Amino acid sequence: MRHHGISPHPHPHSNAHSHAVTLAHARRSSRTSTTASTATTAAFQFVIDRFLLLPIGVGIAIVWANTFAESYFRMSHALSFVVNEVGMAFFLALISQEVLEAVMPGGALHSWRRWGMPLVAAAGGLAGAALVYLAYVHVAYELMLSQAWPIACAIDVAAAYFVMKTIAPRSGALPFVLLLAIATDVVGLAIVAPRYESYFAPDSRPTGTVLFLIAIGIAALMRASRVRAFWPYLAIGGTVSWWAFYWVGLHPALALVPIVPFLPHEPRSVDLFADPPDDDATHRFEHEWNTLVQGILFCFGLVNGGVVFSAYGTGTWAVLTAAFVGRPAGILIAVGLAVAAGLHLPRRIGWRELIVIALATSSGFVFALFFATGVMPIGPLLAEIKIGALATAAGALLTVAAAWLLKVGKFAPPRHARPHVSSEVS
Amino acid sequence: MPQLLALLLLLFFRATSPASSQAASPQDQPLGNRAESVKLAVIGDSGTGAAPQFEVGRQMATARARFPFDTVIMLGDNLYGRQQPQDFVDKFERPYAGLLESGVMFYASLGNHDDPAGRYYKAFNMGGERYYAFSKKNVRFLALDSNLMDAKQLAWIEDTLKQSQDAWKICYFHHPLYSNAGRHGSEVELRVILEPIFVKYGVNVVLSGHDHVYERLKPQHGITYFVDGSSGQLRKGDLRQSESTAAAFDQDQTFMLIEIALDEMSFEAVSRTGRIVDSGVVYRRPKT
Repeated sequence: MRHHGISPHPHPHSNAHSHAVTLAHARRSSRTSTTASTATTAAFQFVIDRFLLLPIGVGIAIVWANTFAESYFRMSHALSFVVNEVGMAFFLALISQEVLEAVMPGGALHSWRRWGMPLVAAAGGLAGAALVYLAYVHVAYELMLSQAWPIACAIDVAAAYFVMKTIAPRSGALPFVLLLAIATDVVGLAIVAPRYESYFAPDSRPTGTVLFLIAIGIAALMRASRVRAFWPYLAIGGTVSWWAFYWVGLHPALALVPIVPFLPHEPRSVDLFADPPDDDATHRFEHEWNTLVQGILFCFGLVNGGVVFSAYGTGTWAVLTAAFVGRPAGILIAVGLAVAAGLHLPRRIGWRELIVIALATSSGFVFALFFATGVMPIGPLLAEIKIGALATAAGALLTVAAAWLLKVGKFAPPRHARPHVSSEVS
Repeated sequence: MPQLLALLLLLFFRATSPASSQAASPQDQPLGNRAESVKLAVIGDSGTGAAPQFEVGRQMATARARFPFDTVIMLGDNLYGRQQPQDFVDKFERPYAGLLESGVMFYASLGNHDDPAGRYYKAFNMGGERYYAFSKKNVRFLALDSNLMDAKQLAWIEDTLKQSQDAWKICYFHHPLYSNAGRHGSEVELRVILEPIFVKYGVNVVLSGHDHVYERLKPQHGITYFVDGSSGQLRKGDLRQSESTAAAFDQDQTFMLIEIALDEMSFEAVSRTGRIVDSGVVYRRPKT
C-alpha cells in the first residue's frame, strides 16, 4: 500500500521569517497529517485483514435493533434483497475463487490425499449438527423449527481459519479445518439453494435454464478470447446467471459460482484468506474484489444481524447445542470410526488437536446467518435462530480455552520439556 | 336536559370518529346479545391440558348460557408438549367438550408450540392450510401464521383483504405486533411488514397471543390490538404497562367474548373465575 506525503507550499510573497515559520509549521502539519494518514490506513488494513467489518456491522445492527427497533427493521427490509440476494453473490464468488486457486496445482490445498479425513470429519459434523438440532426441537416440542436444520450445519470458514491460525499457525490443523469447513458449507449451500422462494412460478424454469446456458456460454467465450479482467465475466455472464438462478428458483446469491471457473486463475501458494502477493493482474483484481466484499459483508451484518434480545427461544438453544455439542461430537465419532476402519490422521494431528479442530468449526456466524435468510421466512422463529447463529461466535473462545487446557499449538510446552510430542494416532 | 344533549353529542362523536375503543367499567356488560350479531369467543395459548384450562373451558360454557356464541377463534399454542392423537383429546376435546357438543365451531391459528400438522386436525377447521380466511355475516376473519411470514403469505393477505367487501376485517395470529408483556413484548419486525397492509386495507381489530397475559392496546394507526395468551398458560405479573396500554390483566387465566353488530364490536375479557376484567366497545372506522 503506497502512502502519499503532503508537500508544503509557502506563499510566494511572504518574507524570509514568515516563510521559515510557515515552512516549519507546514512540516509539522505534514508530519502530523502523514502520521494520521498512516494510522488510519493501518487501522483500516487491520480491520480488512481480519474481516472485522462484518462483526462491526453486526454490532451496530444489534445496538440499533434494541434501541430503535422500528427504524432498524424498516432499513433492514428495504435493503435485504439487494444485500442478501445480489451483494452476497460477490462474497460467495470470491470464496469460490479462493478455494479454486487453493486446490489447483501449485495451490496450498492441492494434494487430494489430504481431503480424505477432512471429508469424513465434515460428513460426521454435518450429521451430528443436524441430528442434535432436530432432536432438541423435537424434545422441546417445537416442530415449527424443524425446517431450520440446515442452519445448524453452517460453519464460518473465516472464523475457523482465524482461530486455528491463532492457535496453531504452522500445523497440519489449518488445512484440515479449512477443508472440513469448505466441504461442510458446499453441502450446506446445496441444501439451502433449492429452498429459495422465487418470485417466479415453477413454469418459468425452462426459461431460467436457457438463461443459465447462455451465461455459461458468455463466460466460456470470454475465457476463449483470453479476457484477463474479472469484471466483464461478473458483469455480463454473472448478471445473466443471476437472472437464471432467480427464474429457476435457486438462491441467486450462488449465481456467480458457476462463472468462477472461467475466470483467470493463479495458484494460491498461501492459505485461504491470507493475502496473496500483488504480483499480477489476477491477484490485483482479487485485492479489489476483496475490498468490495468486505463492504458487502459490513452491509450483510448490518441488515441481518439486528436481533432483539428478548426474541431468544428454543431455536436459539437448538442452534447453540448443535454447534457446540452436535458438530464436534459428530466430527470426533466419524474420525474415530474412520481410524478404526484403517484410515490415518494427518501427520502431527492427534486426538487433542482433533478436539480443538472440532471446536474451531463450531462458529456458524456469517454462513449460519446466510443459511437462515435462505431457509426461514421472516418471523419470530427466524429471530430465535439468528440469535443462536450470532452466539456461535463464542465458539472461538471455547476453542482457545480447549487448546489451552489440552496444551495444543501455541499452548504446548516447549518441545524439550515434553515427554511426547503429541498423542498421534497414525 | 343538558345531560341528554351531552349524551347525544357523545353518541354522534362515536359514530363519526375513526376506529376507537371505549372501555366500560368491569361491572358493565356491554354484550348486547342481539339476534343478528356475530358472536364469538377467543382463546390463546390454551392447550396445556392442566386444570386451569378446564376451568376456563367450564367458564366459557357458563358464559355461553347468557351469550350464545357459535364460534371460537384460537390464537395459537393450541396444544403444548406432545401432540399425538390422545393429546388432542386431553388438551382440546375434553376441556371444551361442552362447547364442542353444542356445535360451537373452533377456528385455530398456529403458534410456535403447535405441530404444523395440527392444521389437518378436523376440529380446528383450518382446511389443511397454515393461513386461511372465513366470513361470518359482515365480518371477514383472517387466521395467519405469524411463525413463518413468507412472501407467498404476505401476497395472500394483501389479496384477501383487497377483495374483502365485508364491513369488519379481523386478523388473528399468534405473535403480537404490540404487547407490553415482559417476556416477549412487541414483534416489531412483523409489525413493520404487516401493519402497513392492515392500515391500507382497513383492518379494524387484530388479536394475538404468545404473551401469557391479557392486554388491550390503545388504537394504533386506527387498529385496536388485543393480546390474550392466558387461556391455559399464565405468566403472573409479567405486564409492564406503558402509555400504549388501554387495559391489562395478568393475575389469572382469561378468555374473551366478542359481539359484532353494525358498526360496533363489544367485547369482554373474562377471568377463569368468571370476573369481567375488561370490557368495552370498538367502533368501526368509516371506509376511506
